[in-house]
Amino acid sequence: MVLGVIMERKISVPLYAGALIISLVIFIIGIFVGQIIDASNLQTISEDLSHVSQKVASINLLLLMEDNSSSFCPVYMEQLQSIDQEIEIVGHKLTYLEEEKNIYDSELKKDYFVQEAESYLLSKKAKQLCNDSSILLVYFYSNVDCASCQDQGIEILKARDELLGKGITVKIYSFDGDMGSSVAESLMTQYNIVSYPSIVVNGAVYSGYKDSNAVSSIIQSMVSE
Amino acid sequence: MAIDIVTLLNYSIAFFSLFVVSVFLLLYLKHRNSYLKPPKKTDWRPMVSVIVPAYNEGKYISDSLTSILAIDYPKDKLDIIVVDDGSTDSTYESAKKFECQSLRVFTKKNGGKGSALNFGIGKAKGELIATMDADSYLTKNVLLELIPHFTDEGVMAVTPAVKIKQSNSWLKEFQRIEYLMILFSRKLLSFIDSVPVTPGPFSMFRASVLEKIGGFDEHNLVEDQEIALRIQANNYKIKSSMTAEVYTEPPDTVSSLLRQRVRWQRGGVRNYWKYKFMIKPQYGDFGMYFIPLNFATITAFFVLLGLMVHSVISTPYYVKYIWFDAFGLGVDLFTFIAAFVIITSLCFLYLSIKSFKGEKVSLRYLLLFIIFYWYLMVGYNVLFVLKELRREGYSW
Repeated sequence: MVLGVIMERKISVPLYAGALIISLVIFIIGIFVGQIIDASNLQTISEDLSHVSQKVASINLLLLMEDNSSSFCPVYMEQLQSIDQEIEIVGHKLTYLEEEKNIYDSELKKDYFVQEAESYLLSKKAKQLCNDSSILLVYFYSNVDCASCQDQGIEILKARDELLGKGITVKIYSFDGDMGSSVAESLMTQYNIVSYPSIVVNGAVYSGYKDSNAVSSIIQSMVSE
Repeated sequence: MAIDIVTLLNYSIAFFSLFVVSVFLLLYLKHRNSYLKPPKKTDWRPMVSVIVPAYNEGKYISDSLTSILAIDYPKDKLDIIVVDDGSTDSTYESAKKFECQSLRVFTKKNGGKGSALNFGIGKAKGELIATMDADSYLTKNVLLELIPHFTDEGVMAVTPAVKIKQSNSWLKEFQRIEYLMILFSRKLLSFIDSVPVTPGPFSMFRASVLEKIGGFDEHNLVEDQEIALRIQANNYKIKSSMTAEVYTEPPDTVSSLLRQRVRWQRGGVRNYWKYKFMIKPQYGDFGMYFIPLNFATITAFFVLLGLMVHSVISTPYYVKYIWFDAFGLGVDLFTFIAAFVIITSLCFLYLSIKSFKGEKVSLRYLLLFIIFYWYLMVGYNVLFVLKELRREGYSW
């Protein structure tokens, strides 16, 4: 009667070593691919900002040529909307890279602030020339020394959503005051900003954290005046 | 610090997944020309006892016994033993109709599948003993395909190709695809002597060694797995046949499927815990790779689930604005690794189906499987943990 032969066990070391090597190779390739993609993404954002810069330059040129005439408004508003959209997309991309992937490019961020500031100034001009009813909200924050700044940003977005439902358009321009951006520092000096977070709504300054209801109330009271 | 832990866990899970997939990939590449080849045919026709434990299987027992009696094997070498485990329906009466020289029917007080199997083993005359479920359907050549494996004196048990018949039920098709994948991976594991289960629907053992290591554990949730682990613990070989086909009846509702899978998982984890003493070099690949792999896989699964929940909970409000514009920016190391793991898994799925000539899977069911299999795994893994934490009793 065959009882059954006990087998000699072995550990397939070459198998596991091979699997380890494959895993390491894929892992390392993945790290490189990730880095290449990150660099490519930053390059794309830089090109987007150049594109915005060209559009801003075109509008400024047109304004000079048309001698700030309001008959130029339809073209002006259309171009401005396009610039705002492109700036917003760049802002979203930068936020994603910073918040989700911890990728910070301070020079790119400063370029972004420059374009944002130009868009803000053009929007201010549009309000004067073309009677644009949009509310311009400038938000000053710090990533270094402001515990409530991230929450404040979220509350401003919530307020914007709520007001859009009531037919009020709010354009948001946000600047990090501690990044060494001369444009941001200039605007802070202009509005006498001394603490974070601070918001400037159609030129009026409000300091300290405000939830979405408070932000909405400020804007709605301005609209009703 | 919390962010660092999350990143570390992400890297660990990614690397672990890569490693496991790579082991299977290398096993396939090494054996790709031979894994479908059956062993050399033999003229050896030992006495085979087929034990059929049955509890309230009145609906299926007749078809099952018909299929056994139709097996291509000398009838004087076949010893079929039906053990009615105290059924309350017509199981005993239906089986009795088939009683003949090669088929005996016994009845006993209800004691569970393990006790019915052990009762049958006690009555068995065969040199080889096959155990099966009463709702299994055997193909004609099943014994002739399994027996050649036993010409290797080191082989103690052989598992057949347990499959599910094609149907129009999405749930059954889902399981049919899954069973093909299980078969494929079990075959690969047999190359490192790491077959972890002798399936209940049909398995074949050497009678003498069953006598040596003892019969089935009558108090185990998954006695078919436990006996396989006991065989492995005694350093006997278990081989896997891709050509001996057996069809089993799968659960036909989501709740019965979940119940089955929770039982498998609860029983499986308990069995691996019982046999954790095998994590030693003397138990070769099975002890040093396969058993730790099971513990690591369950841990990794829950860590991954936790990471996904954490990711959803910590998603900031502004994401709804940025996700569209930021689409594509997220491609990174993990995307690359996930792509490798997913593509390799899909290749395995393809190979699993292709390995069996007669098996055709419609694209519709294949896509359903690929999309929803993850949810089934989440469902039964979460349930199994809850039941264990609540120390719930077992139910079949």
